[in-house]
Amino acid sequence: MKEVSVDLAVMGSGLAGLAAAVTAIEKGLKVAVFEKRPFQGGGISNTPMCTMAVRDDKAYIDKAFNVHMNYTNWNADPAVAHTWIKNSCRIPEYIRGLGLDFQAEVPTPLEEIGAKRGYGGGFPNGYHLGDYYFFKARGKGHGAALICKSAAEKFVKLGGEIYFNSPIKKIIKEGNKVVGALAYDKEGNEIKINTKALIVASGGFSDNPEFVKRYTGHTYTNNNCDDGGNVLFNTFPNSQMTGDGQSAVWEIGGAQGSMGINGHNLVPGPGIIGNTPWIVFNETRTMQEQPYLWVNQLGQRFINEEMSNDHMTMGTAIANQKDKCGYLVFDEDTVKHMENEGLDYIYMIFPAERLHNVREQFEELINVKKNKHVFLANSLEELCEQTGIDAENMKNTVENYNRFCDQKHDDEFGKNPKFLRPVKYKKFYALRVFKGGYQAMGGIKINGKCEVLDEDFRVIKGLYSAGDCAAGEVFGNPPIGGIGMSSISFAQGFASADEAFKYINE
Amino acid sequence: MKITIKEYCVRCGLCQDLYPELFKYNSEVDAIDINYDEVPEELTEKARKAAADCAVTAIFLK
Repeated sequence: MKEVSVDLAVMGSGLAGLAAAVTAIEKGLKVAVFEKRPFQGGGISNTPMCTMAVRDDKAYIDKAFNVHMNYTNWNADPAVAHTWIKNSCRIPEYIRGLGLDFQAEVPTPLEEIGAKRGYGGGFPNGYHLGDYYFFKARGKGHGAALICKSAAEKFVKLGGEIYFNSPIKKIIKEGNKVVGALAYDKEGNEIKINTKALIVASGGFSDNPEFVKRYTGHTYTNNNCDDGGNVLFNTFPNSQMTGDGQSAVWEIGGAQGSMGINGHNLVPGPGIIGNTPWIVFNETRTMQEQPYLWVNQLGQRFINEEMSNDHMTMGTAIANQKDKCGYLVFDEDTVKHMENEGLDYIYMIFPAERLHNVREQFEELINVKKNKHVFLANSLEELCEQTGIDAENMKNTVENYNRFCDQKHDDEFGKNPKFLRPVKYKKFYALRVFKGGYQAMGGIKINGKCEVLDEDFRVIKGLYSAGDCAAGEVFGNPPIGGIGMSSISFAQGFASADEAFKYINE
Repeated sequence: MKITIKEYCVRCGLCQDLYPELFKYNSEVDAIDINYDEVPEELTEKARKAAADCAVTAIFLK
């Protein structure tokens, strides 16, 4: 049996685990990271995206914290949320310290904190709390993958050890204190880890269908599934996030924290997105961000469509409808508007200002790719036949909606009149949109020091958690709201290392 | 020209999405399969692009 003795062991080498490992080794601790896959990065390696850092200024921190807490109706744990907000200030310096830079920085002025939703300033989920930093990637690759690789290299250069293909499966506790863990190498040989502290940063549970069903009530499917389903996981496919950390922590008496899904709106099936959701094969992804008419299976509107570029909100609203789907419906006149005048919402990930040959793209998806969620019809009645939308309700909805367009006031939901575009002229287009899942996360209950708590809310000494597995208390229960997880992962990584360092030196 | 992929490849599948002629994600073994032992002449430019686009510099050509 192999034995490894360190001050601090880290389970997982994603954003949170590596942020913790680098922070701890810079403080002089002897640190080892255990990773089940043959490389660093976790699920985040599949995303370019951005992160959010609140400005290091009391006024900004206070406002961001209170906006967030009010947003969650104080369901979030205030100490956990405050730790995130406060430590997010350190993110830009940490990333620059890895020798990396940003491709863009979008500041949020104090008065705009909490005042903007959607990605107006560069953020697709929830509300704006801080400044947004877009990762600079290599080639067409993912910025976060480069951050993880650079962090791993820095950690090793500073004397740290990363054990790849070596999942931690068991945490060893003596009394109420964690003293070690058991990992297994590629051949299945046991590695006994003697450690003064352990940070569990093993990610979410998107790739564990049983956990997804049991803890969120949704059904796991992948992005190419062609029959909808309750939820469609697409963002980090095959990332092997199976809730290992949660299981190991619960086994030694750790309490179950809030668990949920960070979702978004997604047209599934062939021909739309690739294995990496950032590679789109056509402009459907951009269309479904637009604030035109959205209806549900009953043919009724269900949201002020201004929210259509707020992914978390749309994902949630869609999941609340019959058959857990919604439809974006538009006519030929709106197609011309999108092609000639341009889009109303520019999507930062696919920043096209105008669309091209929308009808041809629809025809290709329907006829060549055989995508069952894309529709093109000569009349509204035909569209209802194809989609199964209630025709009578749809007729009334469209009549009313067109009247709102004429009178330039949305009597139903008060949508901004500039987004009111009638549905009148053939052809008629529809996309059936489901709730996609960015990540299924949470499960480990922590406090503001990232310490893991047991069922009686007592601290399990020497045990910390950070990142997606510990994100539940940032949002509280009921379910997790949509906001940039990368920000939380970095911040909890720093904070857990700070606290572990203090504990070890006590 | 031969393509090799380093062990530290993060399996994001970007190469498959951009250059499906050359790469295929193999979910059974969680690895990227290379479609050719020897890259055909007409695909060598794509192979160069793939190496340049890889997020973590895991694709090498020789």
